[in-house]
Amino acid sequence: MLSNRLRLQAEELRVIRGGKEVLKGITFAVAIGEVYGLLGGNGAGKSTTLLTFLGFLDLAGGNARVNDALVSEDVVAARRSIAYLPESASLYEHLNARENLRYFLGLAGSAGDDESMEAALDRVALPAEARDRRLADYSKGMRQKVAIALAILRNTDTLLLDEPTSGLDPTAIDEFHDLVRTLADDGKTVLMVTHDVYGACQVADRIGLLRDGRLVGEFSAPAGGRIDTEAVHRAFSSREAV
Amino acid sequence: MSGFAPVFREAGLLKRDRAFIGWVVLTLLLSVVSVVGGIAEVSKQRETIARLIEGDREDRLEARAKQGDWGGAAYYSFHLTYDPPSNFAFAALGTRDQEPWKHRIRMLALEGQIYERDAGNPVLALTGRFDFAFFAAFVLPLVLIAVLHDLQASERGAGRHELLIATSGISSSPWRLRAWLKAGAVFIAAALPLLVGCIVSGTSMTRSLMAPAILCGYLAFWSFVSYRIARRERNPSVILATLLGVWVMVGVVGPAAGKLVIDHQVPVPQGADILMTQREAVNDAWDLPKEVTMDAFVARHPEWSQYAAVDRPFEWKWYYAFQQVGDQKAEPLSLAYRESRLHRDRLAGWFAWLTPPALLQRSLQRIADTDLRAHMEYEANVRLFHGQLREFYYGKLFPDAPFDTDALGGLPEFDPGMAAP
Repeated sequence: MLSNRLRLQAEELRVIRGGKEVLKGITFAVAIGEVYGLLGGNGAGKSTTLLTFLGFLDLAGGNARVNDALVSEDVVAARRSIAYLPESASLYEHLNARENLRYFLGLAGSAGDDESMEAALDRVALPAEARDRRLADYSKGMRQKVAIALAILRNTDTLLLDEPTSGLDPTAIDEFHDLVRTLADDGKTVLMVTHDVYGACQVADRIGLLRDGRLVGEFSAPAGGRIDTEAVHRAFSSREAV
Repeated sequence: MSGFAPVFREAGLLKRDRAFIGWVVLTLLLSVVSVVGGIAEVSKQRETIARLIEGDREDRLEARAKQGDWGGAAYYSFHLTYDPPSNFAFAALGTRDQEPWKHRIRMLALEGQIYERDAGNPVLALTGRFDFAFFAAFVLPLVLIAVLHDLQASERGAGRHELLIATSGISSSPWRLRAWLKAGAVFIAAALPLLVGCIVSGTSMTRSLMAPAILCGYLAFWSFVSYRIARRERNPSVILATLLGVWVMVGVVGPAAGKLVIDHQVPVPQGADILMTQREAVNDAWDLPKEVTMDAFVARHPEWSQYAAVDRPFEWKWYYAFQQVGDQKAEPLSLAYRESRLHRDRLAGWFAWLTPPALLQRSLQRIADTDLRAHMEYEANVRLFHGQLREFYYGKLFPDAPFDTDALGGLPEFDPGMAAP
């Protein structure tokens, strides 16, 4: 049984990169079916936090847990239960959308059938006529859609999204937020890193505000409502702890 | 999913990588060029030998027809000796580019004849021949470095590195498989023309399989080195420079340093000294009392002591005796020269274990019978044949047998495999 139905737990996480302490003991948890937005400026430690859950970084202190298990003890299990969408996800440009999906699904150890691939591409609204074109001919937003389709097809419990709406047009951003909400409603856990205050408030159940490697505040959406954008924006712009 | 699914997945990705396909095609072309060039050179050498065998016989018959005594027949008759290329020589021409593989020898002092060679092209000698051994030893590592140096760095640059690892779950995946597939494709592109060359040249099955096996081991070494260095978190140009540095050290500086050390440790008498010693001995013999020459000769050939007296101002037996004494004078130098060369070669063989390109070249040359050992065996053949010539003519000259052209039919014939172990 998972403790309190938590999928991701950061416990006093400390990370040192290039001699600099990037994470200074942050603690937060994300529950099953929850969308958690990690908000912060450049260099706040947002992406570093994601990488600790994937076991890419050595911890100077604290623990990262996925499904209650320490990442450091079974990194393969942690990675296999997570679909990771990096910032400006670069898939293979010389392959088309379907070939990219097939390759990455194969890498994950699952054979994607054509039907489910088409359904995932439909879900991210990638135009049908674009699916046989090489990604080199895609816009940044279209590439992002293919990467999101991959995350959907991985069908993992948890999604780690690093600036997922970067490069998307406003309509695509709205569609993406809807998609994330649907996935969360299906029981997926989403940890999303962004510096887009408005977008985070639109989609997240909770928001953690990172500043200089410290979690300086948390905001929760009221039942049936959304997080107060104004309050988050004020905190984001302020130098004070919340 | 089948166990081969990852292989098909990565192979599918690689076959769409135009830069990689370009390298494989280039490897195939260079391998074909090296093999075709080697086969052409070997064919040329075989044709030369066939032409010389025919000409040699006619020339000797013509020379004999004009002679009325044994001494003249021996003096004017040339005998072709040759070292035919093996059926694998096309892949590694080795010493056949530097050492003589054919001679026309006479009954005169051998030391003055055995080191004679056709004038070579100095530019060719400088650059070396682009045979398969050269291609495999020095060019193939560069191809592997080109296709493997950015194995992970290119993915880092494209922002895919973490995604690939996170998706596969395992840090080493898919790099190791990708590296082996790339190295495997390069190996096949290089080995395929070699195998075709073996079939065309009628190479034995053992040799045909040994060469690709050795090549496979060599490429595994370079793949391992490239893979290990390419794993470092550096940018591709730093990794490339590091690997090229390794190649220069292992392929160029190492062998050159080894040669310097070996040459310093094992001095070899100059070939010119052997020639001068023998020539001076022969020239001085004209002015020495004949008994001095004949005593020295009889000391080596006591069986002719009863015929050692020289009564006339010129006798062929005395003439050939001082030719032999010339060889005897040069013999210590000649022996030292041969032993030192073999000693150097043995040391170079040990040192080659530290320099894989040299080890590969030496291994292929051994299989092809084009290494120094094979050349020395040919030299031993020439010496043996020359000895047989002397034995034949001494048997006529010393007892002063009447000249008989029919008896010339009993002259020894050169057999390239006569001294082979």
